[in-house]
Amino acid sequence: MADEHVPPQSSYHRDSIKSSVHNSSAQRRRQLAVAVGKERREALIRTKRLCREALFENNEASLEGDMNIDEERAVLNSQASQIIEDLKSAMTYQGKGAAQKKVEALRALRRLLSKSEIPPVKAALQAGAVPLLVQCLSLGSPDEQLLEAAWCLTNIAAGEPEETKSLMPALPLLVAHLGEKSSVPVAEQCAWALGNVAGEGDELRNILLAQGALLPLARLMMSTKGSTARTASWALSNLIKGPQPNAATELISIKGVLDSIIQHLRNLDDELATEVAWVVVYLSALSEAAVSLLVKSDVVHLLVGKLAASESLQLLIPVLRSLGNLVAADSYMTDMVLVVGHNTTDQILLGLIKCLKSEHRVLKKEAAWVLSNIAAGSVGHKELIFSSEATPLMIHLLSSAPFDIRKEVAYTLGNLCVAPAKSAEQPSIIVHHLVALVNRECISGFIHLVRSADIQSAKLGLQFLELVMRGMPNGEGPKLVEREDGIDAMERFQFHENEEMRIMANGLVDKYFGEDYGLNE
Amino acid sequence: MESSGVEELGLASGWWIASRRRLMPDDPFFSAGNIERELLAKQVALDLTEDERYQLQKMEVANTEPVFCPIVGCAARLNCLEDFEDHYHARHTASCSVCSRVFPTSRLLSIHISEAHDSFFQAKVARGFPMYECLVEGCGVKLKSYKSRQQHLVDKHKFPATFEFYKKAHPSKHQRQKHQRRQGSYPKDASKHTDMDLDRKSSKQIYHKYRPKKASLKEGKETEMEVEERMDDLVSAVSKLSTTDSSPSSISFGHRHARGFAFIPRSINKNGKQTAQSEAKG
Repeated sequence: MADEHVPPQSSYHRDSIKSSVHNSSAQRRRQLAVAVGKERREALIRTKRLCREALFENNEASLEGDMNIDEERAVLNSQASQIIEDLKSAMTYQGKGAAQKKVEALRALRRLLSKSEIPPVKAALQAGAVPLLVQCLSLGSPDEQLLEAAWCLTNIAAGEPEETKSLMPALPLLVAHLGEKSSVPVAEQCAWALGNVAGEGDELRNILLAQGALLPLARLMMSTKGSTARTASWALSNLIKGPQPNAATELISIKGVLDSIIQHLRNLDDELATEVAWVVVYLSALSEAAVSLLVKSDVVHLLVGKLAASESLQLLIPVLRSLGNLVAADSYMTDMVLVVGHNTTDQILLGLIKCLKSEHRVLKKEAAWVLSNIAAGSVGHKELIFSSEATPLMIHLLSSAPFDIRKEVAYTLGNLCVAPAKSAEQPSIIVHHLVALVNRECISGFIHLVRSADIQSAKLGLQFLELVMRGMPNGEGPKLVEREDGIDAMERFQFHENEEMRIMANGLVDKYFGEDYGLNE
Repeated sequence: MESSGVEELGLASGWWIASRRRLMPDDPFFSAGNIERELLAKQVALDLTEDERYQLQKMEVANTEPVFCPIVGCAARLNCLEDFEDHYHARHTASCSVCSRVFPTSRLLSIHISEAHDSFFQAKVARGFPMYECLVEGCGVKLKSYKSRQQHLVDKHKFPATFEFYKKAHPSKHQRQKHQRRQGSYPKDASKHTDMDLDRKSSKQIYHKYRPKKASLKEGKETEMEVEERMDDLVSAVSKLSTTDSSPSSISFGHRHARGFAFIPRSINKNGKQTAQSEAKG
């Protein structure tokens, strides 16, 4: 078969061979998908990735046909047992062509585990796949054997937790084969397998870190070969995602990592930039050391550039989030990098506005979060945002978007109206911003938040109402709030279980709708 | 986080403080983006359909934490925040058709109606019957006066001393004007109350039991005696009215903007279950 040289990461290059897709196979996959339902959904959102064969090999499968799921499963399971038996005998065979026999058996297993929607992982495990595969990974084995064995392990680890955990005996060898002496495809495939293991959870991540997986993966990430860098970046993002910060901190301290990240972000390869951006997401979220290095580096400008220019949702998500993490973590960003008047600042604003306009909920929500943090900066930043297209967009979102977006937008709009706090003083109100927002009917959006079951949002709404009632000129505030049924919304808190909310709401009602209210009309 | 000193102060007093908000990578805020990442990485390989995408988004919404109704004694479990508003309107907007006050349960509403708008109730009180029910459902105790019921709530059920069951709702400007017009026809108890008729816009206050601090400074503190006296006046005035079912809409008890907190602890609804369906807001 001509598939020995097919790089395992062929799934990245799907697009170029789409034309060879058989319609029937696509159709059948869909039917299978509907039937598999929940299993498939879970597989889809896992942070693990199955390594598939190239599409053009599918036609060799005699599985295509009229079989239903159960039949197919039964066939696959029995095939799994059979193949494992073959492998076992290949392992013990001492004669001529022993190596070839092993590779063939491994390849058969690999195909079995990569073609179907429902690879017979459990059956393979039950038949004793892992110990055999560990043997096949022994140091000094031929590359082909290592490659196939690592590929099998990759797909065993791509499934359910117990299946991933079954790779434990194989981990030290997989880590070992990441080394610089290994052939590139072998190292890459081992990285993939380890990426799946790291994606399983905290416990396995810590084990891998203890076994020294971080350094060799970092080195692979620094590779100039695209697919290697991509796979290693993805695996690293799974490895450092925490919640403990030590892996992220260790990664940024490795010599050459930051430069490599910069290089990859400069590259035109969007897929590579995407995976690297995810590494930056976790570095910026978890490691203070990483944050201070990143904010002073070219990474920010590169990310901002991508944010403004890219249309790829896949790329925008980690780019946006990295920037969000950096802005949130370090005032250096608003103080020194995103200075009003700098090109980077204008660009980031454009990028954020583009995200606010996007149809994708994730982009809208996270962009609003980033904006809210920039709006927590200097008065100059507030004025910049206020006078941009962002404001009318957010005003519209405040009344029309789903709750989570409305909440973030509320933070931003409120931040625009309040000057930076000086110690222990009541922050002063930027009246012309407040007036403008009120005139565009924002009060009702905030009152809607007051009525929410979410305490944070309700508090946010009340705080904005306080701004309105305190800050609107000519004492107009209370009237305006009353007109939007604000009093009713605040009075709800009389029977609210949260004491802080009751006190806040009652306090506002008593202060602004007290005895003198309405007397001078 | 920055300026935490001001922030703490602000939170305590309810001010808006503009500060950066940092989020951890495992914060639920990011879960939609994380899921999207995985879908995008696999959709070509797994040939994701529109329908599946929709299913996944629905699944993501359903996986969010359930919302619990924060109204005291309710604890109803709702699937998502959007459902809360419907729930609130269905269960917690029992409103008094006389004074527009809203109550979170129909039981409290009916207690309010008896105590605030029922002349028969006041007549029985005047004759010494214990009419003031304990607000805690299941307790069953009845007291002879508002104040003693108050004391019972504090002593037995740990209510805060500042709790006030009476608290007039804040009518909209339109309603205030309506009330004012209706007030014109009501007989005025001249001597005692002219100087207390502070709020021209509101309905005539013939019974000023609760007043915010400002007013009491001007008017001098009421003694319990004065309260009881006015109670008698009230009862006699009321009993002169025709005893039809509907109380005149112009009578209202309690000052419009009484101070204090209305507080009903969880113990009110001892079983923890939602009370019977209350009236929908009229």
